[in-house]
Amino acid sequence: MTEATRLQTPDDLAALRARVVERRSAKKVCVSICAGTGCRAQGSMELLAEFGRQLESAGLDDVELRATGCHGFCERGPLVVIHPRKIFYHSVQMKHVADIIDKTIQHDEVLPALLFRDPKTKQRCEVEGEVPFYAKQQRIVFRHNGIIDPTDIEDYVGADGYVALAKVLAGMTPEQVCDEVEASGLRGRGGGGFPTGKKWQICRNQPGETKYVICNGDEGDPGAFMDRSIMEGDPHAVLEGMTIGAYAIGASKGYLYVRGEYPLAVANLNVAIEQAKTRGLLGDDIFGSGFNFTVEIVRGAGAFVCGEETGLIASIEGDIGTPRQRPPYPAESGLWGKPTNINNVETWTNVPVILERGASWFASIGTEGSKGTKVFSLVGKVNNTGLVEVPMGATLREIVFDIGGGIQKKRKFKAVQTGGPSGGCIPESLLDLPVDFDKLREVGAMMGSGGLIVMDERTCMVDVAKYFLGFLVGESCGRCAPCREGVFQMHRILSRIVEGEGREGDLETLEKLGNYVKASSLCQLGGTAPNPVLSTLRYFRHEYEAHIKEKKCRAGICKELVQFRIDPETCTGCTLCRRDCPTEAITGAKKEPHRIDAAQCIKCGVCYDVCNFGAVEVE
Amino acid sequence: MSRMGVFICWCGANIAETVDCEEVARYARDLPGVYIAQSYKYMCSDPGQRIITDAIQEHQLTSVVVASCSPRMHEPTFRKTAATVGLNPYMLEMANIREHCSWVHTDRRDATEKAKDLVRLLVEKVKRNQPLYEIEMPVTQRVMVIGAGIAGIQAALDVAAAGHEVVLVERKPSIGGFMSMLDETFPTLDCSQCILTPRMVEIMQNDKITLRSNAEVEQVNGYVGNFGVKIRQKARSVDLDKCTGCGDCWNNCMAQNRIHEPEREPECSVASPEIAAKVDAIAAKYADEPGGMVVGALQDIQEEFNYLRQDALTYLSRRISVPLSRLFAVARFYGAFSLTPRGRHIIRVCLGTACHLRGGGSIADTISRELGIGDGETTPDEMFTLERVNCLGACALAPLVTIDGRYHGKMTIAKMIHLIEQCQESGDTVAV
Repeated sequence: MTEATRLQTPDDLAALRARVVERRSAKKVCVSICAGTGCRAQGSMELLAEFGRQLESAGLDDVELRATGCHGFCERGPLVVIHPRKIFYHSVQMKHVADIIDKTIQHDEVLPALLFRDPKTKQRCEVEGEVPFYAKQQRIVFRHNGIIDPTDIEDYVGADGYVALAKVLAGMTPEQVCDEVEASGLRGRGGGGFPTGKKWQICRNQPGETKYVICNGDEGDPGAFMDRSIMEGDPHAVLEGMTIGAYAIGASKGYLYVRGEYPLAVANLNVAIEQAKTRGLLGDDIFGSGFNFTVEIVRGAGAFVCGEETGLIASIEGDIGTPRQRPPYPAESGLWGKPTNINNVETWTNVPVILERGASWFASIGTEGSKGTKVFSLVGKVNNTGLVEVPMGATLREIVFDIGGGIQKKRKFKAVQTGGPSGGCIPESLLDLPVDFDKLREVGAMMGSGGLIVMDERTCMVDVAKYFLGFLVGESCGRCAPCREGVFQMHRILSRIVEGEGREGDLETLEKLGNYVKASSLCQLGGTAPNPVLSTLRYFRHEYEAHIKEKKCRAGICKELVQFRIDPETCTGCTLCRRDCPTEAITGAKKEPHRIDAAQCIKCGVCYDVCNFGAVEVE
Repeated sequence: MSRMGVFICWCGANIAETVDCEEVARYARDLPGVYIAQSYKYMCSDPGQRIITDAIQEHQLTSVVVASCSPRMHEPTFRKTAATVGLNPYMLEMANIREHCSWVHTDRRDATEKAKDLVRLLVEKVKRNQPLYEIEMPVTQRVMVIGAGIAGIQAALDVAAAGHEVVLVERKPSIGGFMSMLDETFPTLDCSQCILTPRMVEIMQNDKITLRSNAEVEQVNGYVGNFGVKIRQKARSVDLDKCTGCGDCWNNCMAQNRIHEPEREPECSVASPEIAAKVDAIAAKYADEPGGMVVGALQDIQEEFNYLRQDALTYLSRRISVPLSRLFAVARFYGAFSLTPRGRHIIRVCLGTACHLRGGGSIADTISRELGIGDGETTPDEMFTLERVNCLGACALAPLVTIDGRYHGKMTIAKMIHLIEQCQESGDTVAV
């Protein structure tokens, strides 16, 4: 490693880049292991240590070992890529390490057993790009994720990092930066979809010397983790974006608000900030331009409403994170009463690449009203859970079936939920909908931060609506009555319905109440809280009616309305369900039909899920 | 069987402009228990009141709902009206369809619906009403004032001046309370002793006032006008008639030089030097931050001590000059903080959407069942704490559980039970 010297001019940066690229010559062998949270949880750090040990004892000192950020394909972790051929191994375990070193690294042989096998074509895929999960993606935000080591600034510089910042500071006025971002058509990725360039312009035009920029990394939507991956896997891109934004609006101090549940993101961002300071990319007189900028990390403490910008500001100020009335918008009066610009992690990450490659390049991607790409976290009952980046306008079918590999256990698709607790459920009939900000809003859902939750026939839509409302009841800050009381009452009605106590007229009450809450809540938490109920009522009313009138939950989820039984004709007596039943409610000898004792059954549904023969039925 | 009358007032245009009063009347007529319902321009006017009295007599109504303005305006009016023709006044209730409805809404259709709801609510309430009767009870003309600070002293003097007997009870040996410790009072900077001492003397001189100092109220029973109070008079072994209050006995007391007062727990536990030093270090980290960084400091304290101990918070509050009440407000608002000690192992169950769909709820229920603890609770042996969290952001591993920060993905009920058993046996976190 070269000595960490301050980069005083854009030329210094170019020189460093040249050195890094030369050192990392394309022919060199490198084992790159995913160290994102998903892969870590599946043992990638142990794997990394094992590789280190075995490479050392084999005397292979010149093989580089690199821990990268998240590749997105978390379902198949831990992921290992062997350069220079970029051979892509998934689900690698400790026992495979010796083989990989011996065969692949020393003798350039591919291990077919560790390659991804396309379930459709039965073909083995050697490199990442051939895997169907990646083939349809376009990676702009994720341009470095899974490639660079997030804790090494030289890796980022080697991948053209900080080029955009150098370009901006060397030859663009703040107005030009705002104009460029506005021309690119970038819209806020946090959910609102407000044009980013315009937002900067408004904040820039406010009077006053002191202004702030904030990066909203309080990724609160359950089931969304794209911001986490970016912060963990490419922290410098976030910092570079914020620095450019700060220059454009005239701020010299920035705050990065990171969710408390993301310790690794905090750690990597801290490392990145320290490195950037040492290199002179944060601090005073960046690139000799006279522009000063510093960034501070603030950790969240587990409050969903702090993702709302005014709540987030209150939280940074050290107060309880209750939102306040807007206007005035933060652009006019934000943190400590000063003009403040807040953007989400993904938005900031888009900024450097727009300025590097130009607004027209960015605007050429996507649809009429929504430019660029969007990262979705594809989760739920889908085969390939993971992070997916597609151009705006990709259809849900492409995302769920081509990239996501369809539904688990070949069950039937029911719906996909977007936008987190404030979003809506989209039924099968709308699967060919091109996904962008406006199209989703038309069908009663929203983009939100980009959670895409896939649901199958084993998902009860009433239960889903109740789940989201229960979440929001817990997270409502309690400041305004419509949200505090209205959502609570809606949740009570839904709880009654899933317990089999639904009444005639409940659905009308839900709709009426939902519209009141939407119209009269103080902030967007309450303003969108009824969406999960209203959208499921719109597309899945028959399920609600079955719960109320027939007292049936066809998905087998609502415990009060479900009775499991085993069909003696289909049951092969494999004993699988009997072994997995937590309450020993299932009896039956081997190779004899089993039966469920209703008195002991707690209706957890384990038997239904494990049965390989479809012998367990919902009555 | 109730025979109820419902009377809807237009209040000129005040109500009738936004609420279709005739429709509300028609609606009320069909409610169970309602015998007649009608609307009129001004119910509080003479002709309006006559409509009510006539109806009560003609139809032998047993109860009445008047839907009009706030009961603060006209409830006495209508109750008196009803009483003139023999209806128990407490069988009449008012539905506020003006301040609570017509004045605050613009949409006529919605406002009418709301007025109907309000009427229906009151109809149901009146059905459950019972006639109440006013009776006269003898009242003991004596007053007890508890606490002889400046407020209690002044109250006792005022009541005595009105000609009633007063018993003034004070826990401390001397009366005067907090004011006796003050020098000057806000905002006029008057001398507080000049205000207080003449009144203290007056208490002793007033024949109608009996002072019981060094005494505590033990029990209160009875009701307004007829209370029975038990006072414990503490021993002081001094003949009050002869005592001049010179204080010599107090000053020369061999025992403790003071009158024995029961020991009370200090209101805030005091941080030990070790704890104070740790809090100092944490506070110093955030010293340069404008406005606080309260949340960050609390996070560090929780990491250091495993929970937010009160002595540490009290110390922090003084150290960074942020009121303790605000620290508590912040601690209660954010889900990540715990004000009670947590177990040695912290089990967090992810209940994000992906985990919910893949059965995270059943996993959480399993843990609760196995360990007998709910969300945020700790087992009696302080081994485990269960926390249900919104999303840990690792959805590929759903359903996900972490124990002491270690991830256990694709959890099943059977695996969970096994994991808990292993933890219990080894007393340590289990690597899987």
